Amino acid sequence: MRTTEEILYIAEELAAGWAWDTSTTKPEPNRLDVFVKYLEDLVPIAVGLRVQGLGYLAAITGLDHGPEADILEALYHFCTGKVVVTLRVNLPRRSPVVPTMTNIIPGAEAFERELSEMFGVEIDGLEHPSHLYLPDDMPVDLYPLRKDVHVQDIVARLKV
Amino acid sequence: MEKTEHKKGFTIPIGPQHPALKEPGHFRITVDGEIVTDVDVRLGYAHRGIEKAAEARSWVQNLYLFERVCGICSHIHAMAYCLGVERLAGVEAPPRAQAIRVLVAELERIHSHLLWLGVAAHEAGFDTLFMYSWRDRETIMDVLERFSGNRVNYSANILGGVKYDLDDEFVQFMCEGLDYLETRSEYYLEVVTTDAMFLQRTQNIGVMTRSQAELLGTVGPTARASNVHRDIRYEAPYSAYKQFPISIVLDQRGDLEARFVVRIKELFESYRLIRRILEELPEGDLAARMPRKIAEGETVSRVEAPRGELFYFIKSNGSDTPERVRVRTPTICNMMSVVKLAIGHQLADVPMILAGIDPCFSCNDRMFRVHLDQSVYANVGPLKG
Repeated sequence: MRTTEEILYIAEELAAGWAWDTSTTKPEPNRLDVFVKYLEDLVPIAVGLRVQGLGYLAAITGLDHGPEADILEALYHFCTGKVVVTLRVNLPRRSPVVPTMTNIIPGAEAFERELSEMFGVEIDGLEHPSHLYLPDDMPVDLYPLRKDVHVQDIVARLKV
Repeated sequence: MEKTEHKKGFTIPIGPQHPALKEPGHFRITVDGEIVTDVDVRLGYAHRGIEKAAEARSWVQNLYLFERVCGICSHIHAMAYCLGVERLAGVEAPPRAQAIRVLVAELERIHSHLLWLGVAAHEAGFDTLFMYSWRDRETIMDVLERFSGNRVNYSANILGGVKYDLDDEFVQFMCEGLDYLETRSEYYLEVVTTDAMFLQRTQNIGVMTRSQAELLGTVGPTARASNVHRDIRYEAPYSAYKQFPISIVLDQRGDLEARFVVRIKELFESYRLIRRILEELPEGDLAARMPRKIAEGETVSRVEAPRGELFYFIKSNGSDTPERVRVRTPTICNMMSVVKLAIGHQLADVPMILAGIDPCFSCNDRMFRVHLDQSVYANVGPLKG
């Protein structure tokens, strides 16, 4: 088994040493955050992680930085042993799109559908982009986990 | 749902009521004769909006909220949340509290695995085993009730430690229960590996190879039954698992029988660990002092729930409420494996394959709550397609 330091070193080399435009930080001793500048680099870096045996995608987290910042963030958490490598991409709040990871990680489908319905992020290339958790009659422009959507809005719009 | 229209074969909608467990989930199973050719899953019938609700509640209130994500694994959800928040605050729970947390987590694993054994046996039509294992599960429920006053929401955690201490009378009661359960578990292991009728329902059914299990991102006993070394207690020990290590239980075969064997063998590991903790239980306080406001930052908290890795991402903005809490439960990782594994099997095997991952829909469906009566209404609205 590789040690935490070895895994972090491999991931850091991968992010820094290649042609991709990234910056990295270590918020905690066991974590590496990779800020991916260009969206098209996201899937190739995930392929790189998989090739290195670090390709277990534990979760995709959506973050809304609020209407003022006008930024949504998608976080792809890859876990190996104690290490959590997080690929982070910033997305414009008006028309957020990310490429699908399902071609290389089939298990990503559930996370992507969740990100899509909760934050309104379009998943480019996803085969079945329908709702996973939310009801079919959920208004198309209402994304529950965005910061400017309040529970009262959801109640009013759902007409229940 | 739309995609099934142009597929060959006959589509059978199963659910939302009772596809395998007594929880809601909707499956559209396309069959050609008796053979399954496609499975589509639809979740969210127990969706309560817990992640959204958490953003409007204080750090302390959220503890009680996350305990209620799931009725089976209430302790481990609270534990994951507490460990994350404590890390953000730079507080460490005292050693005795950590040991008690792990002890309760293992008691919870025993009750969850015994519950699952019963449900899975019931799906196979082996109701005697179901009745036996649920009867024996009452032993552990009594232990938990004696410990905390509750059968399922024990609420043992507080931010910074635990609420309850162990006394000699309780320890005695628990040890007697564990001794009894150990003999029973030996019997169950014998039954699931030798009963010819039962083996026909489990051997070589739902086989998942190691590479498939890794590719599909399965976790917990489902992954370990396919020889994937994935157990957070083992690969990234947290809390008292650092002092009280566990050994990982693996199986090579990857079929339903292997999933039974792995879970039952894990029971023995839990009995052993609880006894070891009782032998070397550290003395000291039960809780450390926590600040009301949590320092700004983000953290990832991963723990091993009975069903597999439970993943919490917690972001604090420095106030007394969290900015974001992301909960990724083990069932969603394993659910994808059901969708893929069922294809090519007999329709009659689908409930067993589903039960084999020990699905927990309440864990799965969180996040979006309106009001209980209303959200139920909204979610069970007419399905399109």
